[in-house]
Amino acid sequence: MNKSISGKKDGKKIDLQSLTLYIGTIVILLIFTIACRIAGKDFLTVRNIQNVITQSAVIAVIAIGQSIVILTGGIDLSVGSVVGFVGILGGLMIKAGMPIGLACLIIIAVGVLVGAVNGSILSRGKVPPFIVTLGTMQIIRGLTMVLNSGKPISGFPDGLKAIMNTKILGMPISILYVFVLYAVMILIMNKTRLGRWIYSIGGNAKASKLAGIRTNRIETYAYIICGAFAAIGGILLLSRLSYADPNAGSGYEMDAIAAVVIGGIAMSGGKGNIGNTLVGALILGMLKCGLQILNVPVYFQTIIIGLAIITAVYFDKSKERKAE
Amino acid sequence: MKRFLAILVVMVMLVSSLTACGKKGETDPEGNSNNSSNIENKNDGSSSEKKIKIGFVPMTLNNEYFITMVNGAKQKAEELGVELVIQAADDHASAALQLLIVENMITADVDGICIVPSSSEGLSSALQKVKEAGIPIINLDTKIDQAILDEVDMEVPFYGTDNYAGAKSAGEFVVENIENGIETAILTGIEGQQNAADRRNGFYDAAKDHVKVVAEQSANWEVDLGYIAAQNILTANPSTGLIFASNDGMAIGALRAVEEAELKDKIKIIGFDAITEALNLVKSGDLYGTVAQYPAEMGKLGVENMVKLINGEEVENYINTGAKLITADNVDEHIEYVSQYAD
Repeated sequence: MNKSISGKKDGKKIDLQSLTLYIGTIVILLIFTIACRIAGKDFLTVRNIQNVITQSAVIAVIAIGQSIVILTGGIDLSVGSVVGFVGILGGLMIKAGMPIGLACLIIIAVGVLVGAVNGSILSRGKVPPFIVTLGTMQIIRGLTMVLNSGKPISGFPDGLKAIMNTKILGMPISILYVFVLYAVMILIMNKTRLGRWIYSIGGNAKASKLAGIRTNRIETYAYIICGAFAAIGGILLLSRLSYADPNAGSGYEMDAIAAVVIGGIAMSGGKGNIGNTLVGALILGMLKCGLQILNVPVYFQTIIIGLAIITAVYFDKSKERKAE
Repeated sequence: MKRFLAILVVMVMLVSSLTACGKKGETDPEGNSNNSSNIENKNDGSSSEKKIKIGFVPMTLNNEYFITMVNGAKQKAEELGVELVIQAADDHASAALQLLIVENMITADVDGICIVPSSSEGLSSALQKVKEAGIPIINLDTKIDQAILDEVDMEVPFYGTDNYAGAKSAGEFVVENIENGIETAILTGIEGQQNAADRRNGFYDAAKDHVKVVAEQSANWEVDLGYIAAQNILTANPSTGLIFASNDGMAIGALRAVEEAELKDKIKIIGFDAITEALNLVKSGDLYGTVAQYPAEMGKLGVENMVKLINGEEVENYINTGAKLITADNVDEHIEYVSQYAD
């Protein structure tokens, strides 16, 4: 019982902390707007804001699942490989004439399956999540290559492109997906027992178990959710490019983790707000977009993005430092 | 635990059944394990004498370019009745893994090795091993750095194209066929790789006085990054008229961005590698052109000359396998040519 009280306290603390995140976002936005204006380019336009969200959409969606897993104190490195795998799998199914809707359902089921395998091994087998998902990351990438002998797939029906490239009220539909998916997950995390249990496991797994929470099962659910969101991310990527590349998604796990930590979720689990992960993903997207508009060479882009990740977490921890 | 086992079994079944579908009847014994992939192509030749065994090490087997090269090599091996052992790292830039593969091949008693080095440097220990084993080696596609060859004091035949020359042919085509001063964006490969630099420089050197380069961004050879980079470049430079992408994947990504911005009539895109999808897009008019190299020729030449070397014959020290820009004018011809090496 003690646990849930401290959980509430954490919630309040994070609300305060997250202000620094929003201020940071606005500062980055201003810097790019001014820098681009000086360079004679436009950054702060409706079109470009839409671009930033579309460009961040896949990572933002994957980062939802990653947030859940990190909240339990775990990590999932296999998400990037899942993106690649479901792209090739979906590509083969759609090319074979399967209706796109059915293909999408099977893809999500595959994501669930991967999550179930990850979750079962690491919760029941007590193998560290880093190791299990490092393994499945490689296995799934290998299976992706086996599936289509390492070749890309192209020449899809227009229906596939439509999933991502439709406009709604003049807005790219990907923006709607991102907000709806986040809204659903925020609701689950804040209003359901599952959400509370996930926070509780990440806060203190032993105490949660003593309190009667079936920790193995809840942990497995977290990885299932993560796998499902990775698969959805894979569908969005496949649709956006209308091209299935067996190497797709490599490195996405790192971008997703970066979005989560910039958003202020603690790597040790139990603390953080999933909505801020979206802000984290958008900050990453904004940095990449702004630096490319300014035509900054890629060496400097990676340096700047690396600095941004550390800076974000540094400011986020300022309250904890004071407390100590 | 039981449930987990059940899940695992279902997954294995699912995957194996899908793999079977994907193969469309052809049962090519291809496998892909954790860190290296290997394909063995055994010929059931009836000759009783010991068959020549050649090790073939492409950079990876993750993309069409090297698969085509391997298919060319396989056809030649079959024709000559030699055994081909194919192994590749799954990572583009892993010199360490290639060393391991070369060592294993020497242990497995291959009579010679054809290799596409994963980086133009960093292969000296592998070469040293080959030298110690006293077996011949042929270098395909990407030339091993001369300094490395000097270091181990070896002379290695090289059959391949020059990326620089291929990209230059694209630049020259642009100079001849597109109006002066067109605003141009360049998408480059992974910064720091020699072939990425060669492709960029080849195009740039040929076209720089004719076009106006407004943006240059690395998209790591990847489709999704090509899409994002092109989208941002178009935001910054709405009057871009030409995009040179250093590989077809990035060109396809750029095409998606151009389509979305509804600028398809105004922007010409040139890719590099002439993969199947790019050729289709050149045919349909979506891509302006793509630079073709001849990986299958490299594979064939490698195997053919390796057999000669093993039999103690002389071989050419350098063969330029050529590169040319495929546009709407010659795309049909090229599609027919590559169809011989498709799976």
